[in-house]
Amino acid sequence: MNKNEVPSIFETFGDARKQGFIAVKNLKDQGKKVVGVFCTYSPVEIILAAGAVSVGICAFSDETIAEAEKVLPKNLCPLIKSSYGFAVTEKCPYMYFADLVVGETTCDGKKKMYELLSEIKNVHVMQLPQTQEDEVSKDLWYKEVLLLKDRIEKDFGITITDEDIKKAIRLKNEERKLLKEFYELSKSCPPPITGAEQLKVLYGSQFKFDIEQKNKELRDTIDKVKTDYANGIENVSNDAKRILITGCPLAGVTEKIVTAIEASGGVVVAYENCIGVKPADRLVDEEGDPYKALAERYLNIGCSVMTPNNKRMELITSLVKEFNVDGVVEMTLQACHTYNIETNTVRELLQKQDIPFITVETDYSTSDVAQLKTRMAAFIEMIS
Amino acid sequence: MKKYFAGIDSGSTMCKSVLFDGETILDINTVKTGWNPKLSSAESLGVLLERNNISKNDVYVSTTGYGREAVDFADYSFTEITCHAYGGIYLIPNIQGIIDIGGQDSKVIEIKNGKVVNFFMNDKCAAGTGRFLSMASETLDIDLKDIDAFSDLSDPVSINSMCTVFAESEIIGLLAMQSDRSKIMAGVLYSIAKKIQQQSSKLDFSEDMPLLMTGGLTISKALIDTIATTIGHEVITHKYALHAGAIGACICANKQLRK
Repeated sequence: MNKNEVPSIFETFGDARKQGFIAVKNLKDQGKKVVGVFCTYSPVEIILAAGAVSVGICAFSDETIAEAEKVLPKNLCPLIKSSYGFAVTEKCPYMYFADLVVGETTCDGKKKMYELLSEIKNVHVMQLPQTQEDEVSKDLWYKEVLLLKDRIEKDFGITITDEDIKKAIRLKNEERKLLKEFYELSKSCPPPITGAEQLKVLYGSQFKFDIEQKNKELRDTIDKVKTDYANGIENVSNDAKRILITGCPLAGVTEKIVTAIEASGGVVVAYENCIGVKPADRLVDEEGDPYKALAERYLNIGCSVMTPNNKRMELITSLVKEFNVDGVVEMTLQACHTYNIETNTVRELLQKQDIPFITVETDYSTSDVAQLKTRMAAFIEMIS
Repeated sequence: MKKYFAGIDSGSTMCKSVLFDGETILDINTVKTGWNPKLSSAESLGVLLERNNISKNDVYVSTTGYGREAVDFADYSFTEITCHAYGGIYLIPNIQGIIDIGGQDSKVIEIKNGKVVNFFMNDKCAAGTGRFLSMASETLDIDLKDIDAFSDLSDPVSINSMCTVFAESEIIGLLAMQSDRSKIMAGVLYSIAKKIQQQSSKLDFSEDMPLLMTGGLTISKALIDTIATTIGHEVITHKYALHAGAIGACICANKQLRK
């Protein structure tokens, strides 16, 4: 597993992908360990504290789905198929160079996929409780957090001191505060940046590996946006309808939703998604037992794998008010049962608040782009 | 100010157009969309102008439908949801909802106080659309215009597959088992009605008021009745139902113009 060579098909890659591979190879050559994480529930502070690099390896393209479907069923969420496909085809630099892959028992599709993935990668699966309130679940997750620490220490032959973990928590909190300050800029009316621009920064921040450097860059980005706005540079029309996006992880090909909204007189002001508000809106308590604090913070993320999932409803409700939202668009991926079922709860929640709501189910193809455009445009016409 | 509006609804199968003077429908036309929506739209507009002896300079052109973005000579463009709603309101004032089944999509629109308040449209699958019906009638070797006379609604065979491709296999399987064609055809109509029910049941309609059906499938009275029975609402149609989208395009353009 501990390979520092590029894959044999390297020469067939395009330039951007080659650069990705070279960047990660450089990190490995410096002796850095790389840990791939799938989910917002992964307590990445432990990875940082171990001196390793954590990187998101959820995939957002249909490029490897056909390959994945040789093993996985067709009727499965495209994110799972794509991620597995990138692992088997060795086309993702982060997956390829990962010394360890951390997954959680989130949805059925992912947890069963991890079994197959563990045949080709070094995988550690954390047992994520399915509910957040009871003591048994809290205790289980705390123990799972400790088990991850043990696994990383053992695999990488290191010891994580209290000082290491506390420093990682401080740095990561700093990043969260900056990300939050950044996306909250879009509370202004009109927002200083488009939703596509916001997403680019939020998604891109996952692939910057020196966290102190990343925090500096985020600071600079925030200051620049603020200065431009103060100087009267307007990127978004004052009439643009303010949209909150919610639902499954959105990036890569599913940005087609954002494009459709923003080409039709809307602007995405916030993302209640895994790339967006969810990973940044709550901090880890810096006092007391750091592992207890991590467990507490991470377990409280409002994903549809939780039952009940009140945290998501609370977050949507507060974002609608804080960002002065005109309408909510939910994106679900085909065969994502938990989000697809939860759609009804979200619809009822927003109906009670008189907030227009539309849900679209899509996949990683582009064959529905015209249809999505019509639906998003009709939604914006409806709320105009 | 120009005197007339031409609404063009460039659908996936048919291109519908109307000539409107701001109050009254002066003329309607229908041509096949074909492979080039821009060309068929221009052709359809040309026929209307020539027939009514009107110059293109006297007309605001407003488009809707799948092909609307291809029509580069239009002054206005709106989505088919908004257009079917406003076209429907023009045809039947106070209508509370529209069911539109087109060539490749189906939608149900809820209207309150003269405005769209909610709508559902099928995802990218073609189940329950015109394509689905034409696939089924082709497999059963029944001409689309004969569906009403042919379907035995008293005893429909249940078609379980919501997917057009799977449904075709299912129909072939039923034929192999010697199921009655008229009963299979009725099953197909019920299958479309169930798809509409999935959408309409999530909307807030009052039971004692009708819904208006628009779009190409209004040619089948049997389908309209089957939908009414399935969703538990009276479903009405209108002689201009096929042109509701094109009428709505004129009305939306007129509204925009007066803003």
